[in-house]
Formats: sequence, C-alpha cells, structure tokens
Amino acid sequence: MKPVIHLPLIVVAVVFLGAVPWFGCDVLTQFGINVLLLAVLAQSWNIIGGFTGYPSFGNSVFYGLGSYGVAIAMVQWKWSFGVGLLFGVALAVAFALLLGLPVLRLRGHYFAIATLALGQVMTAIVSNVELAGRNIGLVLPILKNNVLFYELSLIVLAAVTLTVVWLTRSRFGFGLIAIRENEEAAAVMGINTTLYKVLAFTLSGAFTALAGGIHAYWITFLDPESAFDISLNVKMIIMTVFGGSGTVFGPLFGAFLLSGISEMLATEMTSVASLFFGMVIVVAVVLTPRGLVDLTRCIRAQGWRYLSRNIRSHRL
Amino acid sequence: MQLFLQILANGVLLGGLYTLMALGLALVWGVLNIVNLAHGAFIMLGAYACYYLFTLGHIDPFAALPIGAIGLFGIGYATQRCILNLVMRAPIFDTLLITFGLEVVFTYLAQLAFSADFRTINPSYAGANVTVAGITFPLVRIAAFVIALGLTAVMWLLLLRSRLGRAIRATAQNLTAARLYGAEPRHLYAITFGLGAALAGAAGGLYGVVSQINPYIGATLTAKSFAISIIGGLESPLGVIVGGLALGIVESLTALYIGPTFTNVASFGILVLVLIIRPTGLLGRTT
Repeated sequence: MKPVIHLPLIVVAVVFLGAVPWFGCDVLTQFGINVLLLAVLAQSWNIIGGFTGYPSFGNSVFYGLGSYGVAIAMVQWKWSFGVGLLFGVALAVAFALLLGLPVLRLRGHYFAIATLALGQVMTAIVSNVELAGRNIGLVLPILKNNVLFYELSLIVLAAVTLTVVWLTRSRFGFGLIAIRENEEAAAVMGINTTLYKVLAFTLSGAFTALAGGIHAYWITFLDPESAFDISLNVKMIIMTVFGGSGTVFGPLFGAFLLSGISEMLATEMTSVASLFFGMVIVVAVVLTPRGLVDLTRCIRAQGWRYLSRNIRSHRL
Repeated sequence: MQLFLQILANGVLLGGLYTLMALGLALVWGVLNIVNLAHGAFIMLGAYACYYLFTLGHIDPFAALPIGAIGLFGIGYATQRCILNLVMRAPIFDTLLITFGLEVVFTYLAQLAFSADFRTINPSYAGANVTVAGITFPLVRIAAFVIALGLTAVMWLLLLRSRLGRAIRATAQNLTAARLYGAEPRHLYAITFGLGAALAGAAGGLYGVVSQINPYIGATLTAKSFAISIIGGLESPLGVIVGGLALGIVESLTALYIGPTFTNVASFGILVLVLIIRPTGLLGRTT
C-alpha cells in the first residue's frame, strides 16, 4: 500500500513554512529553527529506528560529531561553514561505518544500550581532545542571520523527508522494513542485511550531523555535555514514536506538535516541559503505541474502542 | 605498590555498592524481561528518602535504609501493577521507552520537590577510618560494602529457597505453566518489580552516604547497572557480584593511571566490548 500524498497541499505547506521568516517576528523564526531542526532529528531517527527497527540511542553522537565538525573546521582551521558541514557529515559517516558494523549485530535492548554507552564514551573522549577545546568547548564566529539558518534547516528537513518518501517506495526501503519485521526472513530472501543496516545507520547519521552542524553555528557555542546530550536523542525518539514511527509524516507531526506544546510550557518552567515529555511517552506507549498517524487513521473506523483495544492487546 | 593496593581496595569497596545497584536491574530484567531504564531514578529516590529521614527525621542513615527500601517497594509495586503490566506483551522497545518516560517523570518530579542542589548525607562518623597494613578503609564504605553483599545473599536465598522465589522463577520460565499451577503473574510481576525497586532504594541510601546526590544521578547509574549486568550475565547474583567488583576496580584504576575524566570511557568501553564479543555476559552461558 502506497501512502496517499496530496502533492498540492504539501507544496502549499512548504511555501508557507519557507515564508515564515518574512512575515513572522524574530521570536517565531528562532522557535521555527528549533522546531525544524528537531523535526530533522526525528525524521533521521525514523530511518534507523522506525524503518529498520533498530532503536538507536546513539544518534546524539552523530549530532555531536556534526556540531564539532563545523566548530573545529571553522574555529581551528578557519574553513568556511559549508566545508565545515561536510566535514561534520564525513565524521558522522565514518563513525556510522566503523561502529555500525559491530554494534548493528546486536538487537533489541542490547543495541539500544550499546548505542547509549557509545554516547557516554564519545562525551568523555571529546572532553579530553585538545582540538575540540576539551570540556570547555568552542566558541564559533557570530553570524546574525536567522533567515539563513531557518531556510537551511527547512532545506535539510525537506531533503530528509524526501529520502524517507523514497524509502517507502524503493527496493532499499522495503529491504529495511523487511529487516524490521523479521531479520532472518529478510536475509533468507536475499537481502544483504548487514549492508542495508549500516547504510540506514549512515543515512540517519548524515542528516543528524547536518542538523547538529547548523545548530552549532546558529548557537555559536558548544561543549561536550550539550553537543552529545542524550536528552536530545530521547526527544527524537519521543517525537517519532508519538507521531508514528515508520511513517513519512509521523515524525513531522510529532516534532511540530510536541515542540509547540513544550515551548508553551517552558515559558512557565523548564522542568515542567521535561516532566510533560516524560508523561507523554508513558501515555503514548500505553494508548497509541503506533503513533498519531495510526490513531487518526483508525479512530474514525473504530472510535474510542481503538484505545481500549490497544491496551487489551498488550496488557498481561 | 601501596598506592596500587589502596586503589584496589577502594575499587572493591565501590564495587560492592555497584553490585547492589545492579542487582535490582538484573532481577527485573531476568524475570520480567524489562530493562528498567527508571532503575537509576529509583536509586535516586532511595537516596533522597535516606537524606530526608536523616536530616528531618534524625534517623541514622543505616537505620533509614529499610524504611527507604520499603517505600521504594511500594512505588515499584504500584508502577508495575498500574502501568507496566499494561505493556507486558508489547514489543521490547515499548517497555524500554515507557521506563524511560518514567525515569524522566521521576527525575523532574524530584527536581520540583527536592530542588537541583547537591546533597550529602553526613552522619557524625562519616570521616572515621580503619587502617590495615597501611591501607585506609573508610568506615561507611566498609559498612556499605557489607550491607550490599549481605542483601545480595539474602536476595539469592529468597529466590532459591522461598515459596515466593520459586513462584517468581516459575513465572519467568513459563508464564502459562505457572498460571496453571495457580501463580498470579500480575501480582508476582509487581512483587518482583517492587523488590527490584527496593534494592535500588537501599543502594540509593548507601550511595547517598558515600557520595553526593542530585535529581540527575539516575541516568548514569542506570547505565552502570546495565553494564554490570551485561559484564556478569543475568544467570545468577554471582555474575552481578563479579560485574560490580570488576567495574569498581576498573574505574578506580582508570582514575589513577589514565585520568579521572576517563572513567566513563573505561566502563562504557568495556560494556560495548563485552556486548560485541560476548552478549550473554562473561559468566553467562553461550547460546
């Protein structure tokens, strides 16, 4: 079943989003950059977590590598921003290829925790590297051009979303879904599972690194704790799962909706926003484990029984 | 040599505490097949329970341990009974996610209730030492070590010998068969999860005595507990003891010979290596 995609609607939405910095105020644009970058992260996570079924807690490593790639290139080597972005992506790709091979052999809990541990290791290593400014971090040159960062984030988001659209209708994407559903069966069907998994990890990592690089230049400061922050990885997962993992628009819905709500809550108190995220995960996993996209599709047919059916099918 | 032995002793004492921390996680994982990412949050709550019983209730921290453990047992039981039992048949990733959600909820509730300040539990005897053959042993650390290993032994006996322990093991091995023999899995799962939380609570109290606490210590402690369970394997508490001691010693030696900022590289590096080379744990059976 191919997902129905209303092309004109999407064009209107993209044009509208692209025009935001011209009619919106500064605060809205800045909020927009944040949301778009989070959406990029969620959509990237969707490639490895949603389509391939490997719940990566190591995507924050890619984000950190992207950030540090830009920072090191611009501060230490005086390269331009574009080259820095490429350098960051190259770092992420190298990491995904090198560590993807051994780590992607693990499954379920083991994969999740191994990637979680990789994040901790990278934080500790980077805080000891002179070139990366040790645990003090790096300060980038300031560029006050919110419009540029906004449009750049939007372009990356469009690119990663198109990639995911391509996954839903290409041989490669079907291979990933087959791996998610039953890896042995996929291998028997002639899919080179190792290659597919490593490619999915690399793809996910490359886009995540782009988001990290843009964010680093926009914020102009980074240190190991914030660059490899695990809570960012958690946000990607929540947004994707809340919206609907393994779908094209789920991660986008999740990112827009949840960042909107959390931004409103954060104006009251930051810890309330985090508390809200925690509760959303708990409630979402119990009530709508397949996400909002599935909810909107099924609730019309089944009504509120949809929720009780979800509970009944998974409870002890 | 003297220095090396001192560091080794520190590592062993730390390892005892690590063992107790990981025991609850390993128990819940082995029996319920849930990797409880909120485990560290339970440790954190146990530490705060001990802190407030000591500062406000003027109860000796070691006497406060059982009270904290009982409180955590209640929280754990309720968590499993009301929330986690709802997702026991869901994919593994869902339970991972939901316990992560719980960890976030507990952490930020703690931050709202207790503030983000660092706290220490400082009884009058906190600085007391024993010196044997030139090696100094802080008294509270020895007490923490002994209690940790004692509780581990008690837990093992409970699982092996008691009626409850048999029922728990039976449910873990074959849910349907255990049900047919009259075991009530919803209750048993909640008891098991409660025991895991109680162990975490006790470990948290001891952690508060030997170290500093704040609402965010949970995540790292969960990861360490996981590392220990992986290194030792889930087969028996013996594995957890080996894993705990190994991690304690490795961290202490790394801090001395390579640098204190590298302890996480060492412990999590070992975790990743063990996962890749021997996913059933060093003592675990190979499948």
